[in-house]
Amino acid sequence: MTRLVGVPGNFDDRSFDQFAGAYAQATADGERLLFDAHAAEWASPYGLVGLLAAGQASRTAAGERPLLTAPTSPEVLSYWGRAGFFREAGELFEIHGRVPKPKTPTDSDVLLPVTPVRAAEDVHQVVSHIQQRATAILTSELGIDPKATMGFAMALSEACQNIVEHAGTGGWVAVQSYHWRRRLARRVVVIAVADAGVGFRRSLEPAQAKRFGERWGDAAALEAALIQGVSRFRDPGRGQGLKGIRNYISRWDGKISIRSGTARISIVPSWDDDVPLKDGLPAFPGSQVLLIIPEQGSRK
Amino acid sequence: MIQHIDVHAVLQQSVPGYFADLVTRPTGRAVRREIERAIAGAEPTVARMDFSGVGCIDYSCADEIIAKLLREVKVLLLRGLTDGHREAIEPVLLSHGLAVLVELPDGTLDALGPRETAEGLIEELVARRLAVRTPGGALALTAA
Repeated sequence: MTRLVGVPGNFDDRSFDQFAGAYAQATADGERLLFDAHAAEWASPYGLVGLLAAGQASRTAAGERPLLTAPTSPEVLSYWGRAGFFREAGELFEIHGRVPKPKTPTDSDVLLPVTPVRAAEDVHQVVSHIQQRATAILTSELGIDPKATMGFAMALSEACQNIVEHAGTGGWVAVQSYHWRRRLARRVVVIAVADAGVGFRRSLEPAQAKRFGERWGDAAALEAALIQGVSRFRDPGRGQGLKGIRNYISRWDGKISIRSGTARISIVPSWDDDVPLKDGLPAFPGSQVLLIIPEQGSRK
Repeated sequence: MIQHIDVHAVLQQSVPGYFADLVTRPTGRAVRREIERAIAGAEPTVARMDFSGVGCIDYSCADEIIAKLLREVKVLLLRGLTDGHREAIEPVLLSHGLAVLVELPDGTLDALGPRETAEGLIEELVARRLAVRTPGGALALTAA
């Protein structure tokens, strides 16, 4: 029997919990899953890498590739193709529907197409690629000081390294620039990183669970990692990465949000109405990181 | 004795493929081990690390290279640093309570790290006559 998981029409960080809820319910009995994206109208980089993580987890759990019905809208299909989604999805899903042929992305808004991150060499490739493409966007469109564009590459590198160092499996990263009309009325650059690995709680548990006692869980693990800068390693230099990302994002009035297991923690800027910590969410494997850097200056 | 280290060249030797960025812990470890091999036996008083040609440095790499090399070498003198490099190195030094010297484009020196540690490093260099105050008040190495 196949269980259906609906992909939200507008699939981004806000609708992700709805998707995670459907995923958690459908995986309860270990049956093969069908991810239904036929009615998808839009997906953010966060939605796309999150869908891949769901596919990876589902394939591992069920022992066979889950099904995916591709979007029927030609525009949506074309965008998912340009964003590099289908190149990665082909290995994870049995895809039904017409899929565009893979090609090198030429869309200037897609700063980094969906890219697999499995090892340190992948992080090198990502950083090298992004520096060539992002500098112009960050300085001319977002009004970020040219000197700070290296900080962007640093933040991206550290976000990707979380997969390599802690996930215990591979994951994906995507970076895109777009105009956020409804939510912010400004341009933004979005970095989305997702994996279906062990998640923050299991990664930190051996070193941190005792300290938190009964409070230990996904929310406490995220708090420990992002706010207290703790790491599973005893090396005192560890834990700098997330702290560095947090500092960089805060300096540019951006947002960082990390979802892992049943919790999500965010550093929330004034322009956003998210909550700093949310627990009791539908369980979803691995970790999903979202970084948003808005255009600088007053709202247009 | 001053040991010169071309960080970009060490990176090329340490990591397969042509990459100009010092990112990831494995890369940092590989670069540090190569530097440790280069300075082994020489016991330099000062290791002068030239970052010219290095693109991005992330916190993990800065921690693996700078913070851990300071266990082996008393004084690290960094040159060819960009603002972006400093952005990664400074928080690492602050978190470990360590300081390094930075050679500015005009050849004078500055210290990077927590204020007290940085001032202590400068005092020690002057006391050991490895550096002197110039008439203008800047700090310069006595032996380049």
